[in-house]
Amino acid sequence: MLGLIKRYRELILVAVLLVVPLGIFFAHAKKPAERTRFDRAVVWITTPVERAVAWGATGVLRAWNGYVALRGSHERAAVLMARVQALELEQQRLQEVQLEAERLRKLLGFAELEGERRYLGARVVGIRLGTVGRQVLTIDRGSDDGLAPMMPVVVADGVVGRIHAVAGRTADVLVLTDLNSSIAVRVDRTRARANVRGLGKPDLCRLDYALRTEDVIEGDPLVTSGTDGVFPRGLPVGKITQLDRRQHGLFQDARVVPAVDVTRLEEVLVLTSWERPSEVLPAAYAPGKLP
Amino acid sequence: MKPLAHVLFALLLAALQAAVLRWIGGGTVSVALVACCIVWAGLQGGNVDGSVAAAGIGYVLDLMAGTPKGLMTFLAVALFLAVRGVAAAVDLRGRAGFALLSALGALFLSIGATFLLQNTSAPEAAPGWGLAGRMIVEALLTAAAAPVLATGLRRLDGMFHREEPGLLR
Repeated sequence: MLGLIKRYRELILVAVLLVVPLGIFFAHAKKPAERTRFDRAVVWITTPVERAVAWGATGVLRAWNGYVALRGSHERAAVLMARVQALELEQQRLQEVQLEAERLRKLLGFAELEGERRYLGARVVGIRLGTVGRQVLTIDRGSDDGLAPMMPVVVADGVVGRIHAVAGRTADVLVLTDLNSSIAVRVDRTRARANVRGLGKPDLCRLDYALRTEDVIEGDPLVTSGTDGVFPRGLPVGKITQLDRRQHGLFQDARVVPAVDVTRLEEVLVLTSWERPSEVLPAAYAPGKLP
Repeated sequence: MKPLAHVLFALLLAALQAAVLRWIGGGTVSVALVACCIVWAGLQGGNVDGSVAAAGIGYVLDLMAGTPKGLMTFLAVALFLAVRGVAAAVDLRGRAGFALLSALGALFLSIGATFLLQNTSAPEAAPGWGLAGRMIVEALLTAAAAPVLATGLRRLDGMFHREEPGLLR
């Protein structure tokens, strides 16, 4: 027996290396993979490499943008000044609209639903948008900066994703285009509810659970509904495209073009704290006034 | 020692790939540089050190790609065996042959992972064949990068190669 093992030891080793991982995979396939301490230590080795490349690339780009790319900046500055003035006028108009909206909200008896939000800026230092596996961005902030899993990650254009795993000085952001990402949304125009799920491609998502009876058209902007407990409400998620309303079935099919191009992100904002909206009813629906 | 060096090289390669892709294309396309390391282990390594290196590289892939544990480790060892089988049947020594095998290796990993995940994961979370286009582009880019990596891997192997005294050439 011992002689047989000795004779075929190479074959046995290869067979073990083949069968054991397959067993581990089938045992853990349905459960979310959690990183052990050893896994985190291995990932920690990669952090300096990603940071070094980010530092080098930023330096080169800064030198380029600070010197070479300044040609023609006077003309651009003049155009931008004109644009700033137009935007200032627009801002004044919007402030008037906001004041009006606040007055109307008070009249309706609504409480202020949106609490104070706190953001933490972070730079994207790594991207993993492979064909299989998770679609994640690595950012240069981690648990040392107060980040925790499930924190929303946004930019000015809209939702990027949520924190998936954190290490001391880095964190992985699961982007909204990942197959495991699902965000509760509303159609901004009609307030119809649905979910946006990733397709594994960086430029397209899928609209799930949009009832066939709901008024949805191509080009409709989608915003977070806040009902998933992860994202605050009102953040832009994307626009509806390739709408297919079938003759039968409960739901209509559509694709969603994300509001944020995840392939062009350089900096992101992590929403470290925000007040969940309290369930406040309008004065007309207060318990004492119900018929 | 050599398998460990290959695993560390793959780990650094995966980190470098993630960091560089952030600046080039931002993830619009992906590349599977680590697949080249497995192919190299299959072509140049022995049965024992090659399979151990492949399993280690597969673990790195599992860790960096976020796939369920064991999936890429299994596929990496399977790819190692497939490469050894091909190398036994066909003489593949040049850079073009290595690039071709690397492309096929990258495809093998993508298709294998998609097939296994489709049979085990929830349907909405499993990768679909709609990603086939991205897989092919990934394989082509991997083939383009393979000759450069071959140079690096050859130098890495050279560090562990000892000349036997008195060996006639």
